[in-house]
Amino acid sequence: MNQHPPPLVRAEGLHKSYGHRQAIRGIDLAIWPGETVAIIGPNGAGKSTLLDLLLGLRQPDGGKVHYSLPEPRRQIGLQLQNAPLFAGFTVLENLRMFAACYGLRCKKAELLAMLERCGLGEAAHTNAAHLSGGQQKWLAIAIALVHQPRLLFLDEPAAALDPRARRQMRSWIAELAAEGVSVVLTSHDMDEVQQVADRILLLQDGHIVAEGTAEALLATSGTSSLEDMYLKYTDTKEEVRGV
Amino acid sequence: MIIIMRTMIRGLWRDSHTLIWNILFPLGMLVGLGLYFRDPLYSERLLAGALAINLLFGATTATAFYVIAQRHRGVYKLLRATPLPTLSFVTAMTGARLVLTMAISVVLVGIGIGLFGVAAGPLRAGWMLVVLTIGSAGFTALGFLLANLARDETQVSIFSNLVSLPLILTSGAFYSLEQAPGWVQTMSQLQPFHYLVEALRVSIASDTILADLWLPLGVLTAFAVLCALLAALTFRWDPEGRLFRLRG
Repeated sequence: MNQHPPPLVRAEGLHKSYGHRQAIRGIDLAIWPGETVAIIGPNGAGKSTLLDLLLGLRQPDGGKVHYSLPEPRRQIGLQLQNAPLFAGFTVLENLRMFAACYGLRCKKAELLAMLERCGLGEAAHTNAAHLSGGQQKWLAIAIALVHQPRLLFLDEPAAALDPRARRQMRSWIAELAAEGVSVVLTSHDMDEVQQVADRILLLQDGHIVAEGTAEALLATSGTSSLEDMYLKYTDTKEEVRGV
Repeated sequence: MIIIMRTMIRGLWRDSHTLIWNILFPLGMLVGLGLYFRDPLYSERLLAGALAINLLFGATTATAFYVIAQRHRGVYKLLRATPLPTLSFVTAMTGARLVLTMAISVVLVGIGIGLFGVAAGPLRAGWMLVVLTIGSAGFTALGFLLANLARDETQVSIFSNLVSLPLILTSGAFYSLEQAPGWVQTMSQLQPFHYLVEALRVSIASDTILADLWLPLGVLTAFAVLCALLAALTFRWDPEGRLFRLRG
């Protein structure tokens, strides 16, 4: 008998509205251990709302989110798009603060090692508000990883990064996947998505219009690039599921 | 929670609102008015007023600005994704404010004793600590409440002025209200800041502390409980969150 581990997160029939606007309309989704899932779609398609629902930051109007992880909040890391940080705190203090929020008493050397890994070793004692946009993003990543999560949510991790930093980010996501961390990311960068994602979900108007591996989606859509596939499905609203 | 509180205290020392409202303003007021009037009896009133102002601005105004700024940056949304309970976070923040208020109060009392000859012994200091702790809890909760009601920093500024100015003007913090119109005296009896000033004045100057302190302390405790409840009910993790909904 073939026994698969259960999905880390399973969403069933998710619905969410803001006033009369339906942001999410009946989404079913499972995130499996060790996979990297990219959620793509136009602005306003519902990507951020979907992440919020999966994270439990908002309550769905309909449907449910199930976690197979014990104490999910201790096992999930989150990087938000705008890299929110405590103003007036140094880089090290921000990391220490969030580590404490996860119930961790990290030694200074441990925190410094983590900052070093994210290229922020020399900025450890700098006021976080004085970091460049790219550095703030890396600090947000360090915060998301401080408790060694099994599931990581990244909201446009490579946005506002220069090409070198983007490349670093991609190889870093690949490293995490190799370590067995499940990653769910949103992105508008189709090259990035093609390189890092095991599975892609294309969201439009609050529901999934295409889902599958990059190869399967290309084959099913009859397009030569993910960007063409994206343009095709977000234009026609045709629905496809490639496996 | 100790690590969170300690880190917050460090951050607060570098916060410009804290520097202006929590440190410079009460210090300037105590020293400026104290040197100008040079009256021992007035010095006691002035010290109580400066301590109360320190607490009001530090706990209410600075908290309100701090909370809304962090919320708009998305810090609270990120905190919500952690296992830290809301109550622990609010308690840590209130505790950090209390420590800061105490530190500045020590400086203010030191100036009151050293420069203006105000008499204060260990027993009085003990009661002052009790008053400042309860007052700090209540007025910090009021700061959270104002930040919850406001949509942005402009509204916080408007709300905190609308609240703090009438509280100060009708409190008798820096002048006697004996000659004030009846309606001002009535307003004074109905607002919590008056009782904070009164409790501090009793703990600095009264010979019958216990007999004089129970009413203002009782009012302050009730105020703290009410504000904490309202702040908890209206707490918003992100700017889009609705009032009176703890989740969703």
